Amino acid sequence: MTSGADSPPRSDFFRASLLPTITRYLATILLAFVLFGIILWLSGRNPFESYQHIFQSALGSSYGFSEVLVAMTPMLITAVAVAFPARVGLINVGVEGQLYMGALFATWGALTFPGLPAWILLPSMVGLGVLGGALWAFIPGYLKSIGLVNETITSLLLNSVAPSIVSFFVFGFWHAPRDTNITANFVPAGRLPTFFGTRIDLSFLIALGLLVVFWLFMKYTRWGLEMRAIGGNPPAARRNGIPLQLYLVVTMAIGGGVAGLAGTAQVSGYYGLLLSNFSNGLGFMGFLISWLAAGDPLGIFLIAFVVAVITTGGNLLQLTQGLPYAVINILLAFTLFIVLARPNFLSREKRS
Amino acid sequence: MTLLALLGVISSAIYSGTSLLYTTLGEVIDERSGIVNLGLEGVLLVSAALGFAVTKQTGNPYAGILAAILAGGGMNLVLGYLVITRQANQLASGLALMFFGYGLSALIGNSYVGAKINPLPRYVLPGLSNLPLAYASLFKFDFLIILAVPMAFLVWWLLFRTRWGLGVRAVGENADTAFASGRNPQRIRYQALFVGGLLAGLGAAHLAIAYTMDWSEYMTAGRGFIAVALVIFSKWDPLRAIAGALLFSAAVAFQLLLQSAGVQVSPFLLNTIPYVLTILVLIAWGGHRNQSAPASLGRIYRGTE
Amino acid sequence: MQRRLLYTLVTTALCAVFMLTACAPAATPTSAPPTAVPATAAPAVAATCLTVGALYGGPMNDAGYNQAMHESMVVMAKNIPCVKLIEAENVPDEAGAKTTMQNMLGQGAKLIFATASNHQNPAVELAKANPDVKFEIAGGWLMGDNYANYYADVPDSWYAMGAAAGMMTKSNKLGFVAAFPIGWTVTFINSFELGAKSVNPQIQTIVAYSFAWGDHAKEADATNSLINQGVDVITMHVDSPSTVISTAESRGVYSIGFQDLAAQQFAPQFWITGTGFTLGGKVTFLTQSVIDKTWKPIFLRCKMSEGCMALAPFGPKVPQTVQDNVKQTLSALDSGEIVVFKGPIKDQAGNVKVADGATLSENDMGSLDWFVPGVVGQPK
Repeated sequence: MTSGADSPPRSDFFRASLLPTITRYLATILLAFVLFGIILWLSGRNPFESYQHIFQSALGSSYGFSEVLVAMTPMLITAVAVAFPARVGLINVGVEGQLYMGALFATWGALTFPGLPAWILLPSMVGLGVLGGALWAFIPGYLKSIGLVNETITSLLLNSVAPSIVSFFVFGFWHAPRDTNITANFVPAGRLPTFFGTRIDLSFLIALGLLVVFWLFMKYTRWGLEMRAIGGNPPAARRNGIPLQLYLVVTMAIGGGVAGLAGTAQVSGYYGLLLSNFSNGLGFMGFLISWLAAGDPLGIFLIAFVVAVITTGGNLLQLTQGLPYAVINILLAFTLFIVLARPNFLSREKRS
Repeated sequence: MTLLALLGVISSAIYSGTSLLYTTLGEVIDERSGIVNLGLEGVLLVSAALGFAVTKQTGNPYAGILAAILAGGGMNLVLGYLVITRQANQLASGLALMFFGYGLSALIGNSYVGAKINPLPRYVLPGLSNLPLAYASLFKFDFLIILAVPMAFLVWWLLFRTRWGLGVRAVGENADTAFASGRNPQRIRYQALFVGGLLAGLGAAHLAIAYTMDWSEYMTAGRGFIAVALVIFSKWDPLRAIAGALLFSAAVAFQLLLQSAGVQVSPFLLNTIPYVLTILVLIAWGGHRNQSAPASLGRIYRGTE
Repeated sequence: MQRRLLYTLVTTALCAVFMLTACAPAATPTSAPPTAVPATAAPAVAATCLTVGALYGGPMNDAGYNQAMHESMVVMAKNIPCVKLIEAENVPDEAGAKTTMQNMLGQGAKLIFATASNHQNPAVELAKANPDVKFEIAGGWLMGDNYANYYADVPDSWYAMGAAAGMMTKSNKLGFVAAFPIGWTVTFINSFELGAKSVNPQIQTIVAYSFAWGDHAKEADATNSLINQGVDVITMHVDSPSTVISTAESRGVYSIGFQDLAAQQFAPQFWITGTGFTLGGKVTFLTQSVIDKTWKPIFLRCKMSEGCMALAPFGPKVPQTVQDNVKQTLSALDSGEIVVFKGPIKDQAGNVKVADGATLSENDMGSLDWFVPGVVGQPK
């Protein structure tokens, strides 16, 4: 059914030379835009105007652009949370759940220690968030390593458990006096600082830093090399003395920790409180981005940027075109479909 | 805890479990052919939206059901194209389909929010009409509810007693072997997806047209993922799926009963039951899982297909 | 090679087209063709005197709370034709509300109505950052230089509804489907039960929570569960009453509506009555005051008799005596003859919660966490 190699289409898409890459990339997006434009037109809206609004809103003003960066940040982090374990062949589709658990743990910190100064509270919250996500990922990782259950299935199932647990805590113990599905606002010390009067907060820099670290780690460290070895050929790796079980569990946990970090960033930076069901598919989006970019940090950055432009700009469509906000998901989906379908004119080699 | 209350739990379980059962049955067929549909949520939403819209437009709930069924099949075919013809990764394609479903359903359903439709007629089961109203109204079912269990048997017969079903399962075990023995794995998988999609659409139809009788964005609230869990929980067996769907719906109904009896059971924790149960069951099987899951499904989860 | 060149050229060309559309001399946002704005704004004939933004937590035509809020905006737009109304629905959480309101400001809005309870915080934040824009928050309680709130006085009308239910029930069991046990919901339930008890002290109200403001499947579950326990009148406090009412109707059970008068269409036979928000008049007043530059922050509450809420028409099965009785109860409430929460009032356990001669304040009602005897269910 497939060729022998089991890896996702890796560097085919993002080969060395930048210009053809970006061109190919743009072609995908344009095709998706054209298709979405047809849908807009069929439902009686003006596609050109709509796109104008999307771009102007997202790229036309500095505030709009800052909103794009804000939307991009959690996706960057969750994508790394998927890309890192993918290097050893683990499929971390449980980012959604890890996100929630990270947010939960961080919220506990913020609500239990409101008196601490920011320079203690924030790092503690980050630590808690990473811990929460890591624990949540540890479960499927551990079960896989002792050969019991496949990690894809367990992490998928745990995805649905996590939001319920969060709701349980928010509603049962932590809710604000008058609202039941949110907690009280975090004290200012518990919030990531923002910049320039926009909503961009420290997590954006953290995300960028994470991408760089990820890239360096995989390319230049011994562990990175060992991980690639495992990903490429597990039995051979084991024979060469690499402790397979340990790597699997640890890698999965780290991936979960990163996802937990994303959750922390959301509640501490973006929202300033914990809201039940705060993730609208952020984890899944991260999975898709990482998968489409074949785990390549540059690709992750570019794809996340495009997705963020689409979702941010789509917000204005609701006001000007009378479309429900959710419709922008169609454009998103078309972009994803086209990349998934790998049309011929986008690939270098012929695909048999 | 009166008899009425207990019967009430069973009745509620049947009412709300019907759509879950249909959806699970559809996914069983898909997974038996070796394809996981993570986008079930999107499929359900689009089917529900279209079914509801057609019902409102034509005034005829049966037309709406037909529309929903076809929409389900159609959405699954999109997945089929990506996964079978373009050989894209199943998990990613499923998720993309989910987002597509979010958007498309919102677009279709937008003008029908808050609309009132003619729901399906409900029939009292024969022999029960002499009971006092409180009891009799518990068991007034529409035809989709009545059809649900027979449908499970039909799916079982389809998968285990027909040639086609044999082909589906063969492809699910090993597509290359099936190909070698003269079957066309691609065509069979498309067919399985389509049929599975029809059933999922039926589940969505029941939810929107017969149960809640309205449309709102994201109204399926995770049912697609619950169905995926239930498929695993019922070991890819359509008959076991009946028990799974009923158990889960009964838990929800039971929780409501406990509420008014003064017992505080958090509904959020109850929501986790199908998933936690499935994980525990998977752990219990350990390495023996291979005997019940279609083999090529395992390869998908391992990323080798 | 040729093909690749061709595709690259086509791609670049398409790219250029898109860039041009994006950078086209921006038809300034406020001149987006009027027909694109959903339903309401009259094609701006005269110059626009004020751009008003309104955001709702759910869909505008949910036959419930959001529709009621939307209808009040429509009334305002009709009363003041030179107003340009921008609406956004399904804005569920704070961050989304902030983005939406920001976009509205970008479109020139100078008055914003935030209608969901979790729009209050972002509205206040933006109010402080934009002192030249006025913010009105429905159901809120915070006030400042350029932000205030407005709402109807709800608990009294629940008493009357309870009385109506009490007169129609045969099983003496009433059902209440609620989203969450928050203060106001608890107050409404108590008020309802007290009204029912005024007709017959034996009546019970059973409460079932759906734990979501708009999860229709759970609402159907909750309604069925209540009916299975012998309840024969159902009412609710969720965003949209449509599912609860349709489900009750399909099982031959009476229903009483809330939030919006449009709910009645879902129960042609077994409808008793209901209440709905009719805040159009007040919204018009507030908008006009912004136009006239006489706006001041006020804690605006008004009663049914003042037009902020309306009683729905009675259903076909309601006898005339019941109808008259309900109307009488309402006038008694209005005149102060009946005060719903006048002490002494005890809770389910028998503790005195409202002392003799005292009543509940607005704050008390907003954070109530106990039920009166006769209510079956958990208040928190």
